[in-house]
Amino acid sequence: MINYHPSIEILTDYAAGSLPLAHSLCVSTHLEHCNECQQQIKKLETLGAHLFDQGHTEHRQLSNLKDSFFKRLTEEPEDLVESPQANKKPVNEDVMQWDDYKIPNSLRQFITKGYNELNWMRLSPSFKIATLYNEEGGAQVALTRIKAGAHMPVHTHTGDEITLVLQGAFSDESGVYRKGDFINRDASHKHQPIVTKDAECICLTVLDAPIEFTGWFARLLNPLIRRYHPHSH
Amino acid sequence: MERAPLLQPDEQRLTDISAIAERRDQAALSRLFDHYVPKIRSFCLAAQPGANLMADDIAQEVMIRIWNKAHTYKPESASLNTWVFTLARNARIDYLRKNSRHQSDIDPEYLWQNIVDENADPFKDAQHKRDQERIQQGLNKLPPDQKEVLLKVYLEGKTHKEAAEELSLPLGTIKSRVRLALHKLTIYIKR
Ligand SMILES: [Zn+2]
Repeated sequence: MINYHPSIEILTDYAAGSLPLAHSLCVSTHLEHCNECQQQIKKLETLGAHLFDQGHTEHRQLSNLKDSFFKRLTEEPEDLVESPQANKKPVNEDVMQWDDYKIPNSLRQFITKGYNELNWMRLSPSFKIATLYNEEGGAQVALTRIKAGAHMPVHTHTGDEITLVLQGAFSDESGVYRKGDFINRDASHKHQPIVTKDAECICLTVLDAPIEFTGWFARLLNPLIRRYHPHSH
Repeated sequence: MERAPLLQPDEQRLTDISAIAERRDQAALSRLFDHYVPKIRSFCLAAQPGANLMADDIAQEVMIRIWNKAHTYKPESASLNTWVFTLARNARIDYLRKNSRHQSDIDPEYLWQNIVDENADPFKDAQHKRDQERIQQGLNKLPPDQKEVLLKVYLEGKTHKEAAEELSLPLGTIKSRVRLALHKLTIYIKR
């Protein structure tokens, strides 16, 4: 039973496609466990479609674009038809199960075999961390793995932190968090979580960089703006 | 000579999408191109005014996905507009990711594929149609300040926080406008 869900703001930004990818990764993983949020996303996408449909139509002649598109489609159809396996890393279900944990679909781009294959860094006898990737000047995406009954180390950070429970459970003074739970803490929140005694706990964590977010689109788009408007600076 | 019955535009598009899936009908794709490409382009230009090349690239990419994935479209689980909107949203994210100096290693293809429908359920189907109508009617009655924020988030690709900065309003005001709007559209019922 999932008790902690992403806020409606996060779900809306996810459905709209404006949420940073690192955060979207956590939402996507939560959705694999949560039918309630899946239904919410479907409604939010329906809203997006209506806004998309109402978008004002420019009166620009598109016949050149259309001609070249159909020319491509006719002359190089093979290039345009993707094979189902394209871009997808092979997923071997037998191997996936070898450490008894099912890897969420959203994480299979990073984890092809199992959690054990990752490059775990031991920070204490009971606490390990594996970085999935660091966004340049952005979020850090990692897995944390903590032994049953152990305390999580106290850490300080200036940005927000999202934690998604993948396996096991942990608790703090506000509650108990289980598989699929989505926990969003801002920097001011002080807590010392403890892993439950019955099993180890694996979490996906996304930590915003200590620098102020200048906005995902803004950061991505700066180079594009320069490319399309070479004289604007 | 026998005349084909005249279809409503949205019924025609449903016929077109299955014609693409079943017999690779380029005339059907051509009609969908005329209808959707201007919408996809303005969706891209809303996020990046003036970036016409980007808008052309993304629009073509979406049309290719429609061509390749027509057989995966399930009318009982989403309207065609919703399906095309999600294709355009994902293509825009992917384009920005690949063409940015801060390239992200996260492949968005993995992130929006998880909403799998249970087998078609007549109750849910009817409910989905009611949601559609409520959203359509509700949108036209929304106060302009609430609609403005929805447009920023959905079309311009801004987060709540970025919308707040741009409109010089507190984040709390933006949040409450979106919540009020979603509530009126009966999309969001507080848990
Ligand atoms: Zn949920």
